[in-house]
Amino acid sequence: MARVLIADDASFMRQMIREIIEPEGHEIVGEATNGVEAVELFKELAPDLVTMDIVMPKRSGIDAVKRILADHPSACIVMCSALGQESLVMEALQAGARDFIVKPFKPDSVVATLKKVLEKAD
Amino acid sequence: MSLDLAKYRRIFLEEAADHLGEMSHALLGLEKELAGAEPIDTLFRMAHSIKSMAASLGYEPIADLAHKMEDRMEGVRRAGRVRDSAELAILFQALEALEAMVAAVADERELQPADESLLARLAAPSEDVAAASQAMLSSAASAAHPKKVRS
Repeated sequence: MARVLIADDASFMRQMIREIIEPEGHEIVGEATNGVEAVELFKELAPDLVTMDIVMPKRSGIDAVKRILADHPSACIVMCSALGQESLVMEALQAGARDFIVKPFKPDSVVATLKKVLEKAD
Repeated sequence: MSLDLAKYRRIFLEEAADHLGEMSHALLGLEKELAGAEPIDTLFRMAHSIKSMAASLGYEPIADLAHKMEDRMEGVRRAGRVRDSAELAILFQALEALEAMVAAVADERELQPADESLLARLAAPSEDVAAASQAMLSSAASAAHPKKVRS
């Protein structure tokens, strides 16, 4: 099972992701509330997977993805997107994010996406 | 699996109250400086966050209004400034409507869809906002002060 870092400025969303993926056996090793923290915690915790919100203060999720992948090209990052963010999701995928999950989250879909990404990363 | 919706409703109300406070503060900042980058970014992010939380809980009228506000702020971000006082007035009205909707959730009242004319003004190109606002004000003024008809 994977060690996961959750990056989202909304406590609501962090708790929801935690509640969806912990029962699958994944361990939440950290929570970042902005893009700067996401980069710092990635360096510190070396998680197997990051769920990265796109719209965050201080540094956007897309900037954080680019920063993390510049130093850790094999980092496994899944974007959390919302309706109307298709072009930003494309930008993140082109930058090297592995996949995306869409808000409002459907628990089964989130679990399936993370499983697929982690299997490919093995 | 099912999520504890009562728990998320409680978190929503706490976070939405914080966000609405920040949005109000940001709008007051923009009243002084229409090109304030930080308040523009705050309004965009807070509207986005409220939209996502509300959609997760099925509060569609809140999600719709917050989405329209987010889109509007995306345009403002690209332009680098709020165009004028008419556009600022629309944003204040949207915030007021969001506050009323969140209060309805807190009071466990049924959520009503946002006023269609407000949604239309939020979605209108900014150059149309001044004209639409002027028309609305004229209409309100006419209703409040009907012309005297000579007998």
